[in-house]
Amino acid sequence: MRPWFRLSLIAATAGLLVAACAGAESPAPSAAPPAEPSTGTSAAPASAAPAADVCTNPAPAAPGTTLTFASYGGVYQKAQRQAWLEPYAKLTGVQWTESEDSANATIKAQVESGQVTWDVVDVGNDFGLERNADVLEPLDFSLIHKDEILPGFVGPYRVADITYGIVLAYRSDLTGGQVPQGWADFFDLKKFPGKRGMYDYSAGGIFEVALMADGVAPKDLYPLDIPRAIRKLDTIKDQLVFWPGGAKSQELIGSGEVTMSLMWNGRAWSAKHLDNKPVEIQWNQQILTADYFVVPKGTPNKDEAMKFIAWATCAQNNAGPSQFIPYGPTNVNAKPAPDKVPDLAVSNVNDTTAYFDDEWVVENAQALDDAYNAWKTK
Amino acid sequence: MRPVPPVPLARPRSGRRPSGGRIVNRWAWLALPTIAFLVVFFVAPLILMSLRSVTDPPNAGLRNYAEFFGSEADVRVLINTFYIATISTIVCLVIGYPYAYLMNIVRPRVAGLLLIAVLLPFWSSLLVRTFAWEVILRDTGVINSILLNWGIIDRPLTLMRNTLGVIIGMSQILLPFMVLPLYTVMRRIDPELTRAAANLGAPPFAAFRRVFLPLSLPGVIAGSLLVFVLALGFYITPTILGSPRETMISRFIADQVQQRLNWGLASAMAVILMALTFVALFLASRVVRIRDVYGALGDES
Repeated sequence: MRPWFRLSLIAATAGLLVAACAGAESPAPSAAPPAEPSTGTSAAPASAAPAADVCTNPAPAAPGTTLTFASYGGVYQKAQRQAWLEPYAKLTGVQWTESEDSANATIKAQVESGQVTWDVVDVGNDFGLERNADVLEPLDFSLIHKDEILPGFVGPYRVADITYGIVLAYRSDLTGGQVPQGWADFFDLKKFPGKRGMYDYSAGGIFEVALMADGVAPKDLYPLDIPRAIRKLDTIKDQLVFWPGGAKSQELIGSGEVTMSLMWNGRAWSAKHLDNKPVEIQWNQQILTADYFVVPKGTPNKDEAMKFIAWATCAQNNAGPSQFIPYGPTNVNAKPAPDKVPDLAVSNVNDTTAYFDDEWVVENAQALDDAYNAWKTK
Repeated sequence: MRPVPPVPLARPRSGRRPSGGRIVNRWAWLALPTIAFLVVFFVAPLILMSLRSVTDPPNAGLRNYAEFFGSEADVRVLINTFYIATISTIVCLVIGYPYAYLMNIVRPRVAGLLLIAVLLPFWSSLLVRTFAWEVILRDTGVINSILLNWGIIDRPLTLMRNTLGVIIGMSQILLPFMVLPLYTVMRRIDPELTRAAANLGAPPFAAFRRVFLPLSLPGVIAGSLLVFVLALGFYITPTILGSPRETMISRFIADQVQQRLNWGLASAMAVILMALTFVALFLASRVVRIRDVYGALGDES
């Protein structure tokens, strides 16, 4: 074979391989079997707010408008897509591009570099506060029904889109027939032997649950007594298995590697109903928290983004994802899918329920993280 | 008696032709696009990052560095990183050297199979391999399930979430980087030399130790350097297979970038890691001839 022919053959093959690899880069969102079919988003009693238009009949978007939605991927984003993105696209003609890698650092990078591509971003409870004002657009409350949102779950730069609970999930077959009553039992290795799953994030609830296990009432949690929490954590440190994300927590408890785990309620639900594992939730002492929608500063589609956020947080539409996953609405007038109601965090609120003090947590994020790292790596 | 011509030894090439002319000729200009690419996408970002370590937050000066060294956890993790990298290198060497030697002495077809066995995992995703190790090593994993079922043990062995799990995973992933340079060097060692030593009366092990081993040293250095430097940058495998006690510095850097958004501190940590790696290489160069590495990795024309 001539040298030049051989060379071009090699180059062509290499090119094909590179193209194949690049094409295979973005995997589809993890396909979980869709939940039980529902009759569609239920209509709530009409709200008297003047901006009812945006809730039931949003104005069509300018032709060719593409909005970019960034969230956390997997079953979660799929539910958001099915409940919100697709219906909204039908109503307004907006085209959606999605990212499954929502991250605060990316928002910061985009705004700093002046290349903002994300329009609506789903962020955790540790973002969207006053100190992030420099990278976020103030929300348009002439459209958003601020008074209908759960108190404490809306701010100038963010509005909660779903609520969820950080709960104690346990394997009913590995706890010797006993039911853990709360976080104190999580830390009781004698009564409930076995490993414990824990979210590997300093602001993920680890200190809060340790304090609650040590007897602190939810309303007295903040400011966090970190040394006390660490003393409590040291009693089970060797039995802790840290998980970095939801899917791993679901897998850990599903496989029986851990007997109990701190989990997001949606993941515990998935382990039971999708993976068919004997996983139960103890709703006592859950931490009720939320994910929020924010709009990065300088996005070219600001108005359309605001319209979408207003639509998604309206009573008629807010409970949409609950058809697919048990994540609760943030609009007090929203009606979640009836079969999911018992599994929602908001349905299981009682006197023992705790809440994050987002302001305090973000203010003290550095100290919190330093203390966590210092303890964790010892 | 006629003088015996000297036996040609496997000697690393220097940058000069035997005639004394320089190897760099006009064709070297072809390297210009590559150098430009490296400068723009490698050197420039490194410089920018180093600058950021002293300018973010504004007028930081050496504050980020002071913050790093003042934090007990950070220093502990840094030391742990070098510790784990060193152990991984040693384990890779202990496994890789006999493997490369085996590849060297068997028939070419068997050597080819052995080569494929080493390279195949190389071509699969690092994450997949790490998770595979997790499935094998964990309490409810393959090894423990088998041992428990056969009644050999009654409580699961702790094979992961400790240093053992991390070393197992990292060594398996880094093994090709040790075996390949070793094999390349060993292949070029003239087998007549060890035979000559045996003829002169050396017992097999002495022949190996005094003739073969020193000649294979460039490969050992090349492989060890490669594995060591790569191991320093690992953080996914130690995170999945180890406990938080086995956290490596790259994990902290990633957390500072992604969660804490503290890019100045992250840059400082990266600069520290880079600087310490250079120091480690410098110390290594005092002990062995780093120049030999170039002879090992390159092919002699």
